[in-house]
Formats: sequence, C-alpha cells, structure tokens
Amino acid sequence: MALVGRDVTMVGGLAKVTGAVNYAPDLQFPRMLYAKALRSPYPHANILRIDTAKAEKLPGVVAVITQDDLHGLNPYFGPVVDDQPVVATERVRHVGEVVALVAGESREIAEEAVGLIEIDYEELPAVFDILEAIKPDAPVLHAQRKETTAGVHREEFNFQVGGNVCSVYHVEDGDIKKGFLEADEIIENTYTLPPVQHGHIEPHAATAYWEPSGKLVLHTATQNPSGIQEQLAQIFKLPENQVRVIVPLVGGGYGGKTHARLEPALALLARKARRPVQWVLTRDEVFLTGRRYGALVKIKTGFKRDGRILARQVEAFYEIGAYALNGPVNAKTGCYVSSGPYNIPNRSLTTYSVYTNLPPTGPFRGVGVSHVCWAYESEMDDIARRLNVDPVELRLKHLVRERDIFVTGEELISVGVTDCLCRTAEAIGWKGKEEQAVPPEKKNLLRGKGLAVAIKSTTTPTTSSASVRLNADGSAVLLTSSVEIGQGLLTSMAQIVGEELGLPFERVTVSSPDTDVTPYDKSTSSSRTTFHMGQAAQQAARDVKNQLLDVAAKKLEARIEDLELRDGSVSVRGVPDKKMSIAEIFRTRFGSTVGSMFGGYCFKTAGGLDPETGKGKAAAFWFFSACGAEVEVDVETGKVRVLKAVTAADAGHAIHPKQCGLQNEGSLLSGMGSALFEEMVYDNGQPINSNFLEYMLPSLEDHPQEFQSILVETPHPDGPFGAKGVGEAALPPVAPAIGNAIANALGGVRIRDLPIKPDKLVAALQAEKENR
Amino acid sequence: MKINISTTLNDRTLEVSVYPNQTLLEFLRDDLCLKGSVEGCGVGVCGSCTVLVDNRPVSSCLMLATDAAGKRITTIEGLGRNGALDPVQEAFLKHQAFQCGYCTPGMIMAVKGLLLNNPHPTESQARDYLSGNLCRCGTYVEVLAAVQELAGR
Amino acid sequence: MRRFELAEPQTLEEACALLNDDGDAKALAGGTALLTLIKHGIFIPKTLVNLKKIGGMSGIDYDRQRGLRIGALTSIYDVESSPLVCQYYPWLAEACHLVANIRIRNMATIGGNLAHGDYQSDPPTALVALDASVDLTRGTGTRQIKLSEFLLGSYETALQPGELLSALVVPPPDSWRGTYIKFTTGSSEERPCAGIAALLRMEQGICRDLRLVVGAVSPRPVRMHHAEEFARGKEISEAVLQTIGAEASRVVDPIDDLRGSASYKRQLVGVLVRRALAAVIH
Repeated sequence: MALVGRDVTMVGGLAKVTGAVNYAPDLQFPRMLYAKALRSPYPHANILRIDTAKAEKLPGVVAVITQDDLHGLNPYFGPVVDDQPVVATERVRHVGEVVALVAGESREIAEEAVGLIEIDYEELPAVFDILEAIKPDAPVLHAQRKETTAGVHREEFNFQVGGNVCSVYHVEDGDIKKGFLEADEIIENTYTLPPVQHGHIEPHAATAYWEPSGKLVLHTATQNPSGIQEQLAQIFKLPENQVRVIVPLVGGGYGGKTHARLEPALALLARKARRPVQWVLTRDEVFLTGRRYGALVKIKTGFKRDGRILARQVEAFYEIGAYALNGPVNAKTGCYVSSGPYNIPNRSLTTYSVYTNLPPTGPFRGVGVSHVCWAYESEMDDIARRLNVDPVELRLKHLVRERDIFVTGEELISVGVTDCLCRTAEAIGWKGKEEQAVPPEKKNLLRGKGLAVAIKSTTTPTTSSASVRLNADGSAVLLTSSVEIGQGLLTSMAQIVGEELGLPFERVTVSSPDTDVTPYDKSTSSSRTTFHMGQAAQQAARDVKNQLLDVAAKKLEARIEDLELRDGSVSVRGVPDKKMSIAEIFRTRFGSTVGSMFGGYCFKTAGGLDPETGKGKAAAFWFFSACGAEVEVDVETGKVRVLKAVTAADAGHAIHPKQCGLQNEGSLLSGMGSALFEEMVYDNGQPINSNFLEYMLPSLEDHPQEFQSILVETPHPDGPFGAKGVGEAALPPVAPAIGNAIANALGGVRIRDLPIKPDKLVAALQAEKENR
Repeated sequence: MKINISTTLNDRTLEVSVYPNQTLLEFLRDDLCLKGSVEGCGVGVCGSCTVLVDNRPVSSCLMLATDAAGKRITTIEGLGRNGALDPVQEAFLKHQAFQCGYCTPGMIMAVKGLLLNNPHPTESQARDYLSGNLCRCGTYVEVLAAVQELAGR
Repeated sequence: MRRFELAEPQTLEEACALLNDDGDAKALAGGTALLTLIKHGIFIPKTLVNLKKIGGMSGIDYDRQRGLRIGALTSIYDVESSPLVCQYYPWLAEACHLVANIRIRNMATIGGNLAHGDYQSDPPTALVALDASVDLTRGTGTRQIKLSEFLLGSYETALQPGELLSALVVPPPDSWRGTYIKFTTGSSEERPCAGIAALLRMEQGICRDLRLVVGAVSPRPVRMHHAEEFARGKEISEAVLQTIGAEASRVVDPIDDLRGSASYKRQLVGVLVRRALAAVIH
C-alpha cells in the first residue's frame, strides 16, 4: 500500500515545534471576559444562603451565576445519569464543587470577586471510603436519581436507587460453586488502587459566547464535541444545530476531557454576561474536576494441581466520586474482563460503581480495566508460584484464542494476545520458571522480571460518521468530529483517505471538529477512532471514489471493475492511454472544473449486552496487550527502579507504526507512575496533594533506560485495512508487570495496594522476615 | 500602578509597562499574544512555560514580568532565522518528538538551554537536565534521540 | 495572581526600611517559593519588596582562611556550577544540583532557599554540616548567626521583622571529605524524603572527626552529635558504620508526610547514614 502502514511525516508537527498551535487556553476573542469559580470548601453540605451582592459591585465584574440562574433550564446533566447540576443546587457533594461562577474583565478581578461572595453552609455527614459508602447507614449522596435520555445506552445498566451504589453489573458462566468444589487449591486476595490524575499538561479550558440569534458557540478542549453539543442542547432546551462546538488541537486528554466539565456553567455565564467568556482551570482546580476511579477488587481463584484454573470469582467496587459521569460504564467495562483474557470454565464476575463525597471521576486511559487487570495478573503469578510452574506457561495454557467464546457469550476474533505475550517475554529476556526463583539473600539490590497481559473492549455499539470532500484539483478534505489529542489522527485519517482515493498524502487534509460542519462522532475515547472513524473515513472516500468511477466508466466505456484510481486519475487497468484526470471527471459531471464532490458514511457497530445476564456482544473489537518489566529493588530502602520495559499491543494493522509506538510509550509511562508513586491523597475529602509539587508525573529520569514497543498485527475484518485501536491497550498490564517483577525479585513478597511505594515494600519485607 | 521596563525579547528591544503582579508568562501571552509558552502547572514543575533568560531556561510562570528588565528573553517564537527552523526544532520534527505538542515548546527551549550550556551532552547529562520538563503523552525516548543527534552522539 | 504592589529598592538599607515600616510586606528574591504560596492563596500580600534590583548581593568569593562567602541573591545554579564550590565543597555543589529542576535553580537564590525554611530541601542539610553561618542585616547593622540556629522549624527561621538574609558564610573545607545523599520516594523530581550530609576527616584509617546531618525527615536539619562523638578516634569498620546508622536512626524525630511515614523515615535514616559514610570512605 502506498500510504497505510508507513511512517509518513506527522501532520501538525511544524506548528507544534514552533509554538504556533492555538490550544483552547490560547484563544482570544474581542471583549472576552475571564471566568473564575467559587468552589465548595466542604465535602458535603447544604447551601443555606448565597450573597453575591458585594462581588457584583466590584468594578470589572460583569456577571455572576449561582443556583438562582437555572430557571428555564434542564439543570442536571451527565453522560449516563442526569445527576450533575450545572452549578451546585441546594447541596454540595464534594470539595471543589462549583457553587458560583464569576465573569470579570481580568482574571484578577474575577478572582477577587470570588472572594467577596458570601455563602452559609450547613455541613452534612460525608463518606469517602468505598466500603463505608455501601453500608446501609452511610450518608446518601443522591436520594433520587433521574436517568438521562442522552449519552450511552442506559438500558444496559442496572441502576440502583436509594443508597450510594450507583450501578451493579454481573456476568457469569459455568457453575462457580462446582468450580470451587472441584478445585485442589483456592487463593483469594483483595487489591486496591487509589485515584490518580490524568495529568494532561493542558488544563481544562473553554470559551463560550452566544450569537444574537440565540445560538451558543463553544470553543473547548474536549474529546467529545458531539456529546458536548448533545448535552448543552438538552440543558438549554435548544435544537442541536443551535449549539456549535468547535475543538482546537487538544493538549492531552487520556480520558480526562471526554465529558462535559466546564461547558454547561460557562455557557450559562456567557449568556448572562452577553459577552465571550473564557474559563481556564488552574492545576489545583483540575485535580478537583476529574480523576481515575479508586477501586477495591476482591478476586478468588480455584485451580487443580495439574495447573488447570477451574473457577474465578471477582467482586470489584469502583469509587466514582460525587457524580456518576461514566462510572457505570466503567464498572461494566471492568466487569466482563475481570477474569482476564483467559478461558476459565466457571466464573462469577460482579462490579459496583459507588458514590462518595470525593471529587468527580471520569474515564481514564484503560477505562475500568487497569483496576481488575492489577488483580487478575498479580493473581496469575501467585498461582504460578504456588504451582511452581512458569507463569508464562500458565498463561499460555489459558489464554483465549481465535474464535473462543468469551464470558459474554460472544465469539472473539482478531485475538493477538498470545503473540503479545510471547514476543514481550522474548524481548524482556524471560527465562521461564527460574524468573520466579527465590533470589540469594544478603544483597541490597535485587533484580526481577515480570509480565502481564490484558484484554479490553471498545465501547459498543457506537456510531461514527464522516464526510469526504474532493475538490476538482484532486485535493480532499475529511470532515470529522474526531479530536486530535496527540494520537495523530490528522495523520492516520489522511493516510486512510489518501489510500482509498489514490491521492498523495499531501493532497489530503483532515478537519478539526466543528459541529456546524463535521458530522456526528460518538467521541474520541475508548481508543475507538482508528477503527470507527477510520472505517467511516474509508467508506466516505469510497463513496467519492465510486462517483468518480461511475463518471469515468461511462466516458471511457469501460466496466467499473476494470478501472483503477491512482495518482489523481482514473484509468483502465492494462490500458494506460484510457484515463481521465479528476479535473476531467469534474468537467464531465459538472460542466466545469470547479466544485466539490461529497462522499459520506455513517459507521455503526452492532452489539450491546443484556443488563440482566451480561450476555451479548460487548465489543466491536477487542484490545489485547502485554507488558514486560525488569526492575531493581533496593531492599533496604524499598526503592524500585524500572530498568527495562516492553509494551506490546495488537494493532490489527498499524496505519502509522511510529504513532502506535508512541501510544505504547505513553501507556508505559502513565502505567509506571500509577504503579510506583502516583496517588491522589485526601484528608476527610480535602485533597492534600492537588498540584504538581506534591503529585509528580514520571520524568525523563524515571523513564527506563531501555524501552521497546512491540506491535502485533492480527487484522480485524471490520477495521479499516484491518486496523484496531492501540491508544490505551498497553496501559492496564503495566502495573501488574511491575508488581510481578518486584515479587519475583523478592521471592514472592507482593504489595497488593497501589502504588508500590518504598515504605510499603520495606514494611512487607519486614513482615515477611518476622513470619519466617 | 504599572512599572516601566526595558527588555530584549527575541532580539528586539521593548519599552513596556507591566503590572507588579504579572508573571513573565502572562506578559508574553496576554500583552504580546505570544502563545507558544503555555501554562501547565503554574508552580515551576512541568516546564511547559520554559523560556530562556540570558540563555538560561527559567519557568516564566514564576518570574515576575518586571524582572525581565535589562534581560535578554528568548521564547519559542524567537527560535529560527529568516523563516528557517532552529536545529532543535528540526531534530524534534525528524524524531517525531511530540504527541499532543502542549509541552513541546517548553521542551525545545529546555533543549536549547542545555545545548547552549553544553553543546555535547552525554545521554545521562541530557536526562538530568531535561528531567524537569514533563511530557504526559510519553515522548521521552524521541526527545532523547533528538538531543543525541544534536549533541553529535 | 491576586493584585499586589511591588517595591523595588536599590539598596539593602532601603529594602530593610521598607520591610520594617510595613510588617505585612514580604521580601521577594528568586520568587519560586513565594509566588507559589501566593498562587495557592496561602499567602495574600499587599506589598512585595523585590530584592533583585539591589546591587552587590550576588557572587561567590573564596579565601583559604575565611572560607566561602556567597551573596544571598546568588542563584542555586550559580552555586552548583561555581568552580570554587565544585573544587572545595563538591558535596555542597551536589546538594544544590539536586534541588528541583534546572529552571528553578536558575531562578531560586541560595538566600531565599535558606530564608524560606522549607525542611524538604537539600542545601540546608549540606550547609549545616559545613557549620555555615548567615549574615542578617537591618541595613544599619549586621549580625551573623550559625545556620543551625537560624533554621528553627518548618518555615520558621530566626529572621526578625525588618531583617534580611544578606550572605552565607561557609568555613574553609580544611581536610573534610564529604558527600550528600538525596533520597526520593517517588519521581526523580520530588523533594527529598531524606537528605544526608556526611563530612569525615580520616587519618590512617582512623576517624579524626565527623559531621553528620540528617535533613528533610524532621522540621529542620539535625546534627547527629552522639554519632559524631562515637565515631571519633575509631577505625570505620562495617560494625562502626552499623552502629552510627543505628544511632542516627534512634536520635531522629521524623514527621509523617507525603514522602513517607515517620517509622519508615526512621529506618531509612539508618540505611542512608551508613551508605553516606561508606561512600565517603570509598
């Protein structure tokens, strides 16, 4: 192929290296105001009184909004459950909840005005711990909940009403009781993960204004322009064409910018101010706005002495914070993969999403899967150690293969997990069983290697639509609402369209999302863009191609099957003289060489699960991945260094291998941070490390000296040119691979609550010594 | 009360007045519309706002604009000559040393600072110097490759 | 950032007068710590007194008899890269090099670092080991006190209202050999969970003198006088190292923070002290 599979020059690089990109915080509009939020200092309280008089009198303050400004709106929103108020109404449910928003002539004025707003609160009992939150006497965050008509297919969830459990998901197969009865041995453990930050260096930022006609325009750093449009239309009771969402290049998302965060309150403020208003969060506000779910995962596995795993039971609790956002989706997505990419005959898998009085959460690279993968892949190594077998062999014996039936009842296709594991094991230099051997004692620095694999679904069913516009000069534009967040879709989509239309790469460009122009896309999340938007783009291009061929076939008096489109002209195969340029085709069709030819396609994936049984089709395609790590553990200080890391993902067919490799590198780095030190800490609901001085992201010094990315390619019949997504595939196995490497270095001593910080390791080693 | 200062920005002398509480980053972005330097953390950790002051990298989010008086400031917009890219920018393009690009101008300015200070850094010197510029997309391997090429290693 | 006024005195006397007249005013040097506090709303000033327009407050001088004199406004990077410091006090250069990142070290000043009184910092530990002093001035007169008496606790110093730290004075290195170890529990970029400065004078395998300071584990750097006493006159064997480590571990009074629990830090100090001394000897 001319373009697909090649490392063409990444689009947008010149703007990025010269600082010429206009990100959302860089935008400026005439008469623009600046927004600043007044946030709740309490984790749970009733709002008794709000007085904004002093703030409104401060010179330079143009508008202030509070709960009193919600008349006539649908005041609650959310992607799954409409439980999130545009601004706090009557009650605040987490520290940092927006109670009022001020628009001022400068950031400083807005900030000063915030300090002049008076609020009386009545504190309420609050709950922060997952297990505390599900107790019958726990303070309840949402006594009543209304499900939304927007967003994902809510019929797939079992919503709970009354307590703090937001949703429950369950799927099973075989007979779990029988499985455990027949097992020779059973191991059971609890794994925990703290909340962590997405860490996009660009904070959340948006600018809103209303046109005199009553149309809302939003420039926002979102991964989900269509979703924002839909939600804002619902809140303001507008037809969708009266909400225009424009998305510039986004400075990192990783899931953190998937849902409406700033947009609803900002739009309301701009309406009141009658001027453009910009809202850019400070870093500590970002910490109060989104994060990855904390979780507690109970896992129990029964196996025979001959190494057959017979039964696995998982019960996972996701702590979703004060509002649902996509918590139920996360819990569902985590549920059916919680026994891993393995064939286990008897399974019972249950997950819960649970409200607490902590700041809201949201999807995070590896949605829901990192939590259960941490548990099941640690457990696989523990089982191997118990059985005294090579953990790779144990995995290979159980790994799912092509056409196997998964716990959801669906047939798996494009299953590259065995390749991912084997190639990772080879790259990390895995020597088999001896990697688990107990190391010699009395040395300060011990080394170990570890491996882990993962399976993840992409959100299903969903829709992506695209439009291709071909100009008479043989240049083309892809109109898409998919968002460039660094993954490189401006490049890969141009490759796909160029390949289909036989155009040179430079002749194809890809639009940025503008919902006035670009058609619907579910969202740039779930690593779904290459597969879904790629398919839509390819088919839209094919639509154009067919129109070209139609005209050419008539003019050249040839059969369509005998024509080929290449280098800007259509020719009859084998007869090079019989050809027409794109311009000639335009003249034939339109009578002149100006104009555009449009192609369009709406790609829908089929599937969905029955919420009662958990059975159906969970994924339009499955991600498979592996990670290998070699670590050095200082047993006296507990400090762990990752010396070498390998991440592998099944890309189906890599459209742009280099970009896929960069995704693997990003997954490693983020996974390493949450494995070893990233952790959001709260004291009674108050965040105590909500800035980058106290919450560090992995640096260049932390990056392993040796890193290798592996791309396995198991083509998927429904993907464009066989491609699948890779964005988040390799993140979930990183933490368990590092955990397994540490355990192997320490003769089986294992930390089950992330992050694996030095003090935990030292304490575990001490406990081990005392037990001996 | 604004303060009058004279400073050299990207080789041009400027006579400007700035607010006492205005950071250099705010001055560059708000007053001069130079948006290449961006704010990531506001506390000098992430490095996205890195600019050179007298050829040394600093966090412009923690420097008061008034302290630019009498100094030579270089921002990402000041790299390159006559429409040609700076070799550091060329190397970043060649090695695809960026993803979302938000940290990239700061990273490039840090590399610039490194090479001005030490034209032939070893890999470990480069790691040590650049470890204060964070990239969450995870493009460190490519940044290092770009620096190694520039260092002639 | 919230609005504030900026006074920009040209002389030290003027600066001290400004600080003396307005008790709420704060001195601004490199700004890397102070502006962070202001941005986080921990400190809301009306007036900052910018010291950077004052001449003659930066620079490094060395004299074999009197030792090192560093102007308060000297940047941390200028300290770590000074040929004089690198030659005579390599462990001080190292402690400075380990602070934050290159940008911050280019901005932050050594005087600001000490006057800030942040216990989770590297230079104070190395400087206490060197028995450094600071010059505190009111513009009219100057007093000199030991750094160990200047640092009182977490963000607490002996600085009086209207007083400024103008210079740092470090005695000659004589025949000290030393090291500074920074230990982080998270990213390479974190502030220290513990910092150990060890200076040793050896003669024919016998310890003639030892200075041992543990920093970052408690609100101020702490000299391990007992351990120092114990080491004098001894051959530094593995057993002696163990004992010194254990003694340091016993004496420190660590506090819990995000970088580690108190009990972990106590244990860590023993290990790091032993390693620091071993590193000096070998």
